[in-house]
Amino acid sequence: MAIVELEKVSKRYGDVLAVEDFTLNTTDGEFVVLVGPSGCGKTTTMRMIAGLEAITAGSIRIGGRDVVGMIPRERDVAMVFQNYALFPHMNVFGNMAFGLRLRKLPKQQIKEQVNRAAKILGIESLLNRRPKELSGGQRQRVALGRAIVREPRVFLMDEPLSNIDAKLRVEMRAEIIKLQRRLGVTTFYVTHDQVEALSMGDRVVVMLDGRVQQVGAPKELYNKPINRFVAGFIGSPAMNFVRARVSKDGTVSAGQDIQLFLPDSQTEKVGRLGLGEVWVGVRPEHLKIQRDNAAIAKNVINGRVEVVEPQGSTTIIQLSVGVDIRLIALINEQVEPEPGSVLALSVASDSIHIFDPATDQSI
Amino acid sequence: MWTHSKRGGKVVVYLIAILAAIWVLLPFLWAIINSFKTLDATFTAGAIVPFLNFQPTLDSWKEVLGDPQSINSLMSSAIVAAGTTLLVMVLGTPAAYSLARFEFPWQSKDIALWFLSQRVMPPVVVLVPFYIVMVQLRLIDTWTGLILLYSTFNLAFCVVIMRDIFRDVSKEVEEAARIEGANLWQIFWMIALPLSLDGLIVSAIIVFAFSWNEALFASALTSQHASTLPAYILASRSTRGVDFNTAAVNTIIAIAPPVIMSFFVQRYLARGLSFGAVKG
Repeated sequence: MAIVELEKVSKRYGDVLAVEDFTLNTTDGEFVVLVGPSGCGKTTTMRMIAGLEAITAGSIRIGGRDVVGMIPRERDVAMVFQNYALFPHMNVFGNMAFGLRLRKLPKQQIKEQVNRAAKILGIESLLNRRPKELSGGQRQRVALGRAIVREPRVFLMDEPLSNIDAKLRVEMRAEIIKLQRRLGVTTFYVTHDQVEALSMGDRVVVMLDGRVQQVGAPKELYNKPINRFVAGFIGSPAMNFVRARVSKDGTVSAGQDIQLFLPDSQTEKVGRLGLGEVWVGVRPEHLKIQRDNAAIAKNVINGRVEVVEPQGSTTIIQLSVGVDIRLIALINEQVEPEPGSVLALSVASDSIHIFDPATDQSI
Repeated sequence: MWTHSKRGGKVVVYLIAILAAIWVLLPFLWAIINSFKTLDATFTAGAIVPFLNFQPTLDSWKEVLGDPQSINSLMSSAIVAAGTTLLVMVLGTPAAYSLARFEFPWQSKDIALWFLSQRVMPPVVVLVPFYIVMVQLRLIDTWTGLILLYSTFNLAFCVVIMRDIFRDVSKEVEEAARIEGANLWQIFWMIALPLSLDGLIVSAIIVFAFSWNEALFASALTSQHASTLPAYILASRSTRGVDFNTAAVNTIIAIAPPVIMSFFVQRYLARGLSFGAVKG
């Protein structure tokens, strides 16, 4: 168990900057998720913590000790790989005991430690099997077992669930969280799946093009995305963005069909920046069907229904507004509006996000 | 068109297979029959069926197995082939592994080409230079001389083949071992090598077979002490002609070990010979 401190860590491959100035301090036992589209540098960052990749600049400390230049063994970290990376020529026991044997622990102790870890993961009955005789879920458990058996100071998990089918993935997700809480080991978890990131992380680091975009608790990322990328990346379906004009009284409008009123605090900020145009962001789930047209004329959007996708308990509706605006609404009930019909949607003022079109930063 | 009829096609396939089998097996049959003949009988036309055409005898076998030089050649062959295989594998596999896994100041590709260039050259070209070198090193007619020579021929082959086999070992698996605390040598020894076992065995057999079969250099560089079986068989020509009966016995003795060996490792051969072509 240890605090991990990364300070201005960078990685350069020739002319390509894979990771730039990555700075993050974990608390002890924290579950940190690195999330972002592929090629954003999240896996490289993890490999630098593991010691599989040398860093170009910056410093990494684990438990207060500078580990730059140390081989993986000296860092005392364990890693779970995307493709499990089990040793195919060893049985499950051999896989789990590998690191302990290299450390020349007494045989009896190795046996005890492996058995204890196997019991935690429910794979005691598989100890004599070879990896190729196991299902994907079982292999994943063995890979986790190999990681926890050494009681390392840091867990590193590189998309460990991406090769498992959807149903099992939800189960394993919960299991990993429980395991991590129980062991209290500081964990870095890499994923490209924002749902996984939000549901697992104590803190989530959103990355793009080698740079950290935002670090925060899942709720924080969802409620207060720092820029347009984070706003669009976190949440599913993705946030709707509409380019709109701002007038002095705090209304933003895009054509005749969209006219929204900002809360006073935002009106003030926009006014201070002197912006004529902004990006307006509205999450699909914040769009509600306006049934009583006369009641509130505020923040109403009239859209033409294009596609209706029933999702079981919810419904996704794709609408077109005006000539060139497309919106997606996630309605929290079963509805079936006719394609082509006009639907009135409303959004609460405090659910509206505003971004500076020049910098894409949140206002 | 025989392809139109399935049965006709089968007949043709079998016919070709039978012809091929005869082509391959006839020399063996010749060796077996002649090994049970007297020297005179080997020159009798049509002496093919034992007891009917000629009286089989174990004389040739007794002669060969009772001849110290013949037994000595067998032992030389075994020692030289085993020694070469050992030396080539011990030097070649780590070299192949480093070529497969690490970047070198020169492009790895070029190194491989340089290794391969060894194979392209006709061996006879270097026969005389090697003879001179061996004389200078006082390695004429020694096992050490032949082992060193055969190793230079086979090392390049082993390195290039094993490099491709090591490349097929998953990098992630090796990284997992590294994270678990293995150093480079341990990764090579405990992960890469066991996972490349079939390729390793096939390479070893090919190297062994080459050294076992090599006759040209063995004839030139040995005379008595280190003469291998192929060299000894070539020397079956006496002043009276060729002793076909004893040559046949020696041939059978020479063929036996590699054949027996391939039987034992057949399951590796099937997979190993396809090398990197089919992912296991």
